[in-house]
Amino acid sequence: MSISQTTEVPNADHMPAATQGRHVWRNFIIVAVAVAVVPLITSSQYYLHVAILVLINSTFSTSLSIIARTGQLSLCHAGFASVGGYISALGAMRLGIPPVFGIFIGGAVAGLVALPLGWIILRLRGVYFVLVTFTFGQLLTLLALDLQSITEGANGLVGVPPLSIFGYAFVDRVPFYYLAAGFAGLVFLFTWRLLGAPAGRNFTCVEENLQLAESTGIDTRKTQVIAFVIGSFIAGMGGALMTHYIRYISPDSFTFWSSVAFITMMVVGGRWALAGPFIGALIITPLPELLRDTGGFQHIIYGAILILVLQFLPDGIASISQRVKAISRRRAQP
Amino acid sequence: MTGTLIAQSLVNGVVLGMTYVLVALGFTLIFGIMRMVNFAHGEFYMLGAFVTFFAFAQFQIPFIVSLAIAAIIIGCFGMLIERVIFRPFRGNELNGMIAALGLAIIIQNAALIMWGADPKPMPSVATGILKLGPLIFPWSRLYVIGAAAVIIALFYVVITHTSLGRAMRAVAQDTEIALVQGIRAERIYPFAFGLSVALAALAGGLMGPVFGVSPTVGLAPMLKAFIVVIIGGLGSIPGALLGGLLLGIVESFASTFLGATVSDFLLLALVMLVLIFRPWGLMGVREA
Repeated sequence: MSISQTTEVPNADHMPAATQGRHVWRNFIIVAVAVAVVPLITSSQYYLHVAILVLINSTFSTSLSIIARTGQLSLCHAGFASVGGYISALGAMRLGIPPVFGIFIGGAVAGLVALPLGWIILRLRGVYFVLVTFTFGQLLTLLALDLQSITEGANGLVGVPPLSIFGYAFVDRVPFYYLAAGFAGLVFLFTWRLLGAPAGRNFTCVEENLQLAESTGIDTRKTQVIAFVIGSFIAGMGGALMTHYIRYISPDSFTFWSSVAFITMMVVGGRWALAGPFIGALIITPLPELLRDTGGFQHIIYGAILILVLQFLPDGIASISQRVKAISRRRAQP
Repeated sequence: MTGTLIAQSLVNGVVLGMTYVLVALGFTLIFGIMRMVNFAHGEFYMLGAFVTFFAFAQFQIPFIVSLAIAAIIIGCFGMLIERVIFRPFRGNELNGMIAALGLAIIIQNAALIMWGADPKPMPSVATGILKLGPLIFPWSRLYVIGAAAVIIALFYVVITHTSLGRAMRAVAQDTEIALVQGIRAERIYPFAFGLSVALAALAGGLMGPVFGVSPTVGLAPMLKAFIVVIIGGLGSIPGALLGGLLLGIVESFASTFLGATVSDFLLLALVMLVLIFRPWGLMGVREA
């Protein structure tokens, strides 16, 4: 008996808000405009750097939430980001593949690695997925250290070429910021469309009630594998983009703790809301910088926030507005 | 020459395997009883190593007593953690797991602040070597094997011959039936959790002299514990014994004769083979 098999009453909050299309578009455009004016407000290179990290991290947490929609927690998300980063960097440095294509190749390789892995472990219910993705992620880090002739081992790959389109290299912060914003926007729109499509609706069904989903004819294993492959593909692309931005990758670039950070962003922001993972990245990414004066305590606060949010606000910050609405509705009734 | 190397690898493998067994036993016990994946398990290993280090190296307390102190302190700390942090997540496997990740962050960084990142050298417990014909074994390694064997035997006695152990096994087999029989699962959980992390602390203390003591030593044994329970079967205690020894010996031989890279690949291959052909583990029970 595993917990994921317990029967639950479907929760309307967990359903993707795909029906509220106009709503999503309106909010998306408001956020997009806000994101677009950031470089006009500040010219600080440091703030722009943090903003770029927020945008790329939002793609990691959003893609992780695609996998989480099917009730699985991947602890190898940073591992796939690392795969994408290494593939794209090595392709550009050794084979001369332009990073524009390298990013897609990196994502594709991450997805191709996730496919057989998912196929093998998703036959097993629940917790094995977490155990195996953790193990696999750690072994990927070990391999990056071991295969010195290819990956330069612990030294990492130095001098990764920047991304360039039609001879224009994205080296400066501002152009790269807009590039990252474009990528984050595309990932968000893709996720929204995916979750609204019939295949995406199956994700939620599988998470809500595995047996019921199975008995209504949904191939639950296939659904989970699809979500895992898509999520890992996006993580690979995000990792490649990050690598061409930082222009360096080593086995320490994407570790187990990065995976934990992506999970924290997703949980704190809200797993079930479309915008939740973005909100999480927005709040969690600058946190270590804001708390720098606390002298090492920032990570402890980080862990405490994760536990407190899980306990008191399990659906994340994105659920606050719904809670407020529910309370005011209750008040309004006599 | 080769014979010596084989014997040497075997002893090293059993030393590694014994530690893996200790870490995996607690991990699999807590999953069996509470259906909880404790991602902070490796951090309790690390805390155990530190407590043993301070007792043994700073206060000059005999090693065996230092180990016992570590087990008791970490065990009580674990019971407290279970009540304060994990109780609200009972029955919610996924959130409990994520909370354990948060706990791991907190413990590891608290250790970093308190004790610094530099590894602390723990003095050897035993010196000298044992000569058996051409074979040479350092006592420091044999000591680990002996101590781990005693701890595992004690654990076995607790699990099979005490009312607490019987209650734990009953809850692990079927919580509802156990409740009907008058066993208060809620009272069992803190003890089970304390016992589980005390085993991890003992493993950390035992391996301190071999691997050194630092705030980041917990992740590697946790990875190995995961591999052990996948191979042996999640929730199975004999599986943890078999899987731990098997993993230790395979790893030791592979890294001696084939190199570290091949050894890591081999571990991955082993995990995948078990998942393909016997996904419930060598000694696990097949779930419907």
